[in-house]
Amino acid sequence: MNLHNRRQFLRLLGASSLGALVHGCGGGGDSGTGDSADTGDSGSGGGTTPVTPPVVNVSGHVVVVGGGMGGATVAKFLRLWGGQNLRVTLIERNPSYTSNILSNLVLNGQRTLSSLAYDYARLRDNYGVNVIQGEVMGIDPVARKVSLGDGSTQTYDRLVLAPGLEFDLMPGLTDYQTIPHAWQAGPQTALLAQQLAAMPAGGTFVMTIPAAPFRCPPGPYERACVVADYLKRNKPGAKVIVLDANPGIAAERASFETAFNTLHAGVIEYHAAATIDSIDPVTRLVQTNLGSIAASVLNPIPPQRAPRLVQDAGLVNVNGRWAGVDVLSYESTAHPGVHVIGDASATTQPKAGHIANAEAKVCADAIVRMLAGQAPDPAPVTNSACYSPITATTASWLTAIYHYDPASRTMKPYVTGEAASITSGNYEDMFPWFNNLMADSFG
Amino acid sequence: MKPRHFTYVLALLGACVLFPVQAVRAESGRLLASNCFQCHGTEGRSQGGIDRLAGMGANKLIGEMKEMRAKTPGNDMMKVHARAYTDAQLNDIAAYFANVR
Ligand SMILES: Cc1cc2nc3c(=O)[nH]c(=O)nc-3n(C[C@H](O)[C@H](O)[C@H](O)COP(=O)(O)OP(=O)(O)OC[C@H]3O[C@@H](n4cnc5c(N)ncnc54)[C@H](O)[C@@H]3O)c2cc1C
Ligand code: HEC
Repeated sequence: MNLHNRRQFLRLLGASSLGALVHGCGGGGDSGTGDSADTGDSGSGGGTTPVTPPVVNVSGHVVVVGGGMGGATVAKFLRLWGGQNLRVTLIERNPSYTSNILSNLVLNGQRTLSSLAYDYARLRDNYGVNVIQGEVMGIDPVARKVSLGDGSTQTYDRLVLAPGLEFDLMPGLTDYQTIPHAWQAGPQTALLAQQLAAMPAGGTFVMTIPAAPFRCPPGPYERACVVADYLKRNKPGAKVIVLDANPGIAAERASFETAFNTLHAGVIEYHAAATIDSIDPVTRLVQTNLGSIAASVLNPIPPQRAPRLVQDAGLVNVNGRWAGVDVLSYESTAHPGVHVIGDASATTQPKAGHIANAEAKVCADAIVRMLAGQAPDPAPVTNSACYSPITATTASWLTAIYHYDPASRTMKPYVTGEAASITSGNYEDMFPWFNNLMADSFG
Repeated sequence: MKPRHFTYVLALLGACVLFPVQAVRAESGRLLASNCFQCHGTEGRSQGGIDRLAGMGANKLIGEMKEMRAKTPGNDMMKVHARAYTDAQLNDIAAYFANVR
């Protein structure tokens, strides 16, 4: 081991501590003979007393598609828990990831998009993930192979898909180039922020919310609040019209009702059970069941589904939109050997980044056990947490912890909680939560 | 990585021998404890702003969790998480963090 490698290894030890140490003790060499489950003679490597049960020392190649909240986390924890012989390749189309979480604060100028960017250097350097920038074009679940845009392929022992979502085109629109949904943080978020800044005083911001399930249940209501707060201060007389396809506010109802009816009363006009017949991208007229509504700035949040890649691989088997999975391992119910985590999968858990991170850990742990010929943990727990800014200085929150329910074979809420009130303390707590969550996901 | 390198590094850190009997429980607590990493940092090594759990004594962690459970649900997100694990799960989680150095 040269000095550089040794330093790197020590850094890995520092970063991963006992997890890797246990595996180091148990694993020993790099025989490369494809040895699978260690039988517990764990003293061989370090020459010390056996200290750990035979959980790992697996070998194989796991390919992860998508380096967002779910994909980055699963790659990291596969390396952390899988030991040195588990190769992990992460394929992501972009050189860095822009967090959706906190991206509503780009709309009121409190955050920049670049402050929400996370690259893959730490996954590569500290965790030994093989990171490939590229677009996955196709999956062959029988040959266990994915093909990339540059014509190359990667074969896998197990595949994890974490590609997020695809957005339906709303009636009347051919793209979201001028009428942004901004529900995937990036250029559309910047465009929407510019449009809001350029909006005349007394103008109207119209947003639409699709029927559940959609990414981040409190997110649209949070956006309505953040925009209302911004308009009050910067565009006197402006209004926010919320056209919600759902029968009522779909998350944190108490907090958002308070926000809509008191804090932002007179600014936010909320309509439940709204239907959108068409949107004219030039005149910005929206035809609805409530009649024709004129917008100065228009923000349609479209219905969502698992991306085409997942559909084309034959993995979409829930409501024609989502990939069904076994929540003990997130293995697809359509194809063995393929796991789907995050927004693209159908579970009883919300489509959110914090829960995608938790799903990724259950999936990583299960894959390590499955590669060792064991069964996944029979009683996994996951948790979801979300802070929702309501103004530029206050927030509410929502959290839930899910335990596996063997009878229904689903993750069932075990305890849930919501902020009792909208406070500046919550707003301040949001940032350490965000920073720790992103560091836990991206290294 | 060759075995002798592990020997080297482990000898350097004197690490393997530190391993207590609780390793089995700590191992089973790993996946449960990973539910704390999002807020308290990977393996409990917080990035700041929220308490570090890595290396916290098991009795201290269990004591604090039970204290937070007992308080009426208020404004604090952590109180919800304190009520989200059975006593057996909590023991495994505590064993895990106690073993992280
Ligand atoms: C405004 C807003 C606020 C939010 N706030 C919160 C919050 O407070 N808390 C919370 O928990 N969640 C929040 N969310 C939700 C959260 O961002 C998503 O649920 C989460 O990002 C889903 O993770 P994922 O891994 O499934 O997908 P993503 O994070 O979207 O990652 C998917 C990745 O896959 C890549 N990819 C896709 N297809 C391919 C391909 N074919 N080849 C290569 N790469 C590919 C994409 O480039 C992307 O990087 C919010 C969302 C929004 C829009
Ligand atoms: C959603 C975020 C979140 C999650 C998940 C979470 N915590 Fe916490 N935890 C917090 C915050 C925030 C505080 C600080 C609370 C305060 O100061 O009142 C805290 C405080 C604590 C404390 C008190 C520390 C001290 O020294 O006072 C302990 C112990 C603790 N958490 C343990 C856990 C354990 C164990 C888990 C996993 C089972 C966990 N937490 C999961 C956010 C979280």
